[in-house]
Amino acid sequence: MIEVDALSKRYGSRLAVNDVSFRVERGEIVGFLGPNGAGKTTTLRMLTGYLAPTAGEIRIDGIDAVGDSIHARTRLGYMPEGVPLYGEMRVHEYLRHRASLKHVPEVRAAVDRALALAGVTDVKNRIVGQLSKGYRQRVSLAEALIADPPLLILDEPTSGLDPNQVRQLRELVRGFAGSKTVFLSTHILSEVQAVCDRVIIIREGEKVADLALDQATELEDMFAELTTTDVAEEGS
Amino acid sequence: MRSAWVVMKRELASFFVSPLAYVVLTSWLIFTGITFWILSEFYARNVVASGSDTPLSGFFGGSALFFIPLLLFVPVLTMRLIAAERQSGTLESLMTAPISEASIIGGKYGAALVMWATLWIPTIIYAWIMSQHGSVDWGAVGSSYFGVFCLGTYFMAIGLLMSTIAPTQIIAAVLSFVALGALFVVGVGEFVLDGALREVCAYLSMWGHMHSFSKGVVDSRYLVFDFSVALSAVGLSIAVLKAQRHA
Repeated sequence: MIEVDALSKRYGSRLAVNDVSFRVERGEIVGFLGPNGAGKTTTLRMLTGYLAPTAGEIRIDGIDAVGDSIHARTRLGYMPEGVPLYGEMRVHEYLRHRASLKHVPEVRAAVDRALALAGVTDVKNRIVGQLSKGYRQRVSLAEALIADPPLLILDEPTSGLDPNQVRQLRELVRGFAGSKTVFLSTHILSEVQAVCDRVIIIREGEKVADLALDQATELEDMFAELTTTDVAEEGS
Repeated sequence: MRSAWVVMKRELASFFVSPLAYVVLTSWLIFTGITFWILSEFYARNVVASGSDTPLSGFFGGSALFFIPLLLFVPVLTMRLIAAERQSGTLESLMTAPISEASIIGGKYGAALVMWATLWIPTIIYAWIMSQHGSVDWGAVGSSYFGVFCLGTYFMAIGLLMSTIAPTQIIAAVLSFVALGALFVVGVGEFVLDGALREVCAYLSMWGHMHSFSKGVVDSRYLVFDFSVALSAVGLSIAVLKAQRHA
């Protein structure tokens, strides 16, 4: 579903992502783990077409995401970090707007389905700007689901949520296992362990590991080593 | 095309639920109301000195009172277009939706033109008031509004370009003010310079542009200028948005 080959992104003189390659198979839930500033958001922004790579290739569902970006974007739903939403709109208006932008044929049915899937039907008439962080996060997830894409790309989906909301969101994502491919970034090890089948670890823009979750001990050691290293000079 | 329409609808809906819209429109009407009153008062007292000018031709670009508020109102109307989305982060959602940069810019530009029209439509009442107290050359009124529309196509396009370039709304507003202000000042050169430079300034002059249209003269040279500036600014906005993916 995702094929990334020798992907690099340079900001001026700084290499934010350096020669990263990986694959994500259909139906997998894969965590993209790394300390803050490791290049996770930059990588996700290249996968979703927001940023063009400096070098390398990306294929989304077999489509060249660099050369034919608009086509590739029809295959994915993206929940950006910090969940930017139009604060002045009502939840259902926002989802209707996004459904039209994504050329969804049956807008009303798609909105109802996404509201139900993300568990936000009860706030559909509320103004987005007045919602709690947890609800905003779920509205953003509903937006990602609106066109029923085969691939979901989630950037730090649980950041800023309280423990109860974190648990609910993880259950929601876990529920996609088998039906959708999910690629989510996080800097929290327990998140990967709770949700993912496989983890790709990135550090200072380079891929350092790609493991199935049954190798858990190795993962903990590796993550401890990663998070104790000083990577403060790397901004995302 | 359909995507541009969706972007345009959202932009207008968000504009007309914001307090900014009503502050801008109300202040605009207060300002043009005072301008119209001053001009009517002036022409009523100076019938001989006014010659072929009328309060309406004065209103449509016969005085600096027409341009100075526009140099402020246009940047305030256009500053949000792209810069607000960049500041709030929603530009990322917009640019990862399966739509082209041309649709985004086209939608935003369409919305900007509608905002421009909402500034001007209420001023038709001034022409109606004049028609109640004297004769009005409706042909000249028509060509004045046509001139205003053509002026708007490039004013709003410049504002859109600045909003696409600028990292924040305030910077977008300042850049638009500087760009439009510079064009206005170049136009003043028509009255100061001589020879070929004077011709160039006259061609670029928004003052000369509206002076001609307000008299009922539709000068195609001005139209070529308006539409070529508008097209270039819109095209550049699309290119800038594309280039920003490579930032």
